[in-house]
Amino acid sequence: MAKDKIVVNYRFRDKLNKVSGGKHHNYCYQCSACVAICPAARFEKEFNPRKILLKTLLGMEEELLGKDSPIWLCTNCYSCYERCPQDVRPIEVIVALKNMAVEKGTAPANLAKLSDNIAKTGMSVTVSSAVNRKREQLGLPVLKTIPIDELNAILEDEEVTSSDETVDK
Amino acid sequence: MQKESRGTIMKVVPFWGCMMPLKYPQMELALRNTLPLLGIELVDIDGFTCCPDPIYFKARDKMKWLVTAARNLAVAEETDHMLITMCSGCVSTLKEAQFLLNEDLALKDEVNKRLKKVNREYKGKVIIKHAVEMIRDDLGLEAVKKSIKKSLEGITVAIHYGCHILKPSQIMHVDDADYPNILEDFITAMGAIPLDHHEKVLCCGKGCMDEELPLEMTEAIFASIEKSGADCMGLICPTCFSSFDLGQIMISRKKGKNYNIPVIYLFQLLGLAQGLTVEQVGLHTHRIKADKVLEKING
Repeated sequence: MAKDKIVVNYRFRDKLNKVSGGKHHNYCYQCSACVAICPAARFEKEFNPRKILLKTLLGMEEELLGKDSPIWLCTNCYSCYERCPQDVRPIEVIVALKNMAVEKGTAPANLAKLSDNIAKTGMSVTVSSAVNRKREQLGLPVLKTIPIDELNAILEDEEVTSSDETVDK
Repeated sequence: MQKESRGTIMKVVPFWGCMMPLKYPQMELALRNTLPLLGIELVDIDGFTCCPDPIYFKARDKMKWLVTAARNLAVAEETDHMLITMCSGCVSTLKEAQFLLNEDLALKDEVNKRLKKVNREYKGKVIIKHAVEMIRDDLGLEAVKKSIKKSLEGITVAIHYGCHILKPSQIMHVDDADYPNILEDFITAMGAIPLDHHEKVLCCGKGCMDEELPLEMTEAIFASIEKSGADCMGLICPTCFSSFDLGQIMISRKKGKNYNIPVIYLFQLLGLAQGLTVEQVGLHTHRIKADKVLEKING
């Protein structure tokens, strides 16, 4: 009757607990309510929020933060957050895992492309002369100046906050 | 008495975000032209940045996402007006940031420590609402009815809710996430007919970092709308808009199926009902032309 021994990686779970939104993974009792409502799970069998949560409970770091992690298939619709009877907020656990993958350097390359603009310009969409022309044609007011210096000041990396301590250095 | 209070001008601070002013300025145009007709004055203020986006920027660093959002809220708090958002992404970020900061005071202190560097402070007093929510709760849908000049009688609109105006309801406080009514009531007040369809609350898929998955999701929604026989699709989220307007061209290219369903931002529809022209609501900029609906309205 010998079974494979299950080893829980508590070190990983401790790390996840310290990332914003990560702590709620502890509340999951594997009921699958999130799977039933998840649109990504409906269209893509690879994606299963219950299994992602199970892997967090077991501390399966490699599968969750590796390059082929399913976390990037999440559509960010918040249905799981709506449905979860345990306040796990599964999407927020997934966001915490994404933050950890970014720290680890295993996030998809296009994530940087999709979000670089904000820190650089203060806006997610590039302000171009074509944009300004289109606005002018529609008779819309001139765009306000974006306070990029102020944004840079608050986004500086210098201070390490408790939420940032996801990787032991 | 009530009528008198509705006759006064209501001042609100608009949070335009990025998608509307930069990618789909026709939506900003529709808002700037329709809201004053309801007695709403938009008080544009300086100092906002991107909300920031609740998907990619948050996935990179949630703390930076929160600090950026808190700065925007602190900017809004310098006025005494309500902050209104017209983009579902912005309303999601700003309301969730407020929820997190009010839920965890230690987190709020930490965020305020960063904001102090630029002499700002998030206090927690700002009221954030989506424009449709503000119209329903603070203005009353009667004001919409009273502003109508042109009949939309018989025009059927298949609603697409999008995710972030509703979910999570614990944070958004807009409507029931499974059986919402807010957009149905808004459309009814304009004089058109909201059409229910099977995939009304399905996600458009735009926030997924896969290539195939979003297309399958939008296609399920198109098929559902086509079956409903609606004249057009009505939505309130600029990100969803890109999935459906440009999205129909993508689906036509990749899957060879042409749906040809006009996608109308609900404030554009309101503008048409208020007697504004196609150009005044920017409907001429859409890839999928709304000619048939317009004929029916003008017919």
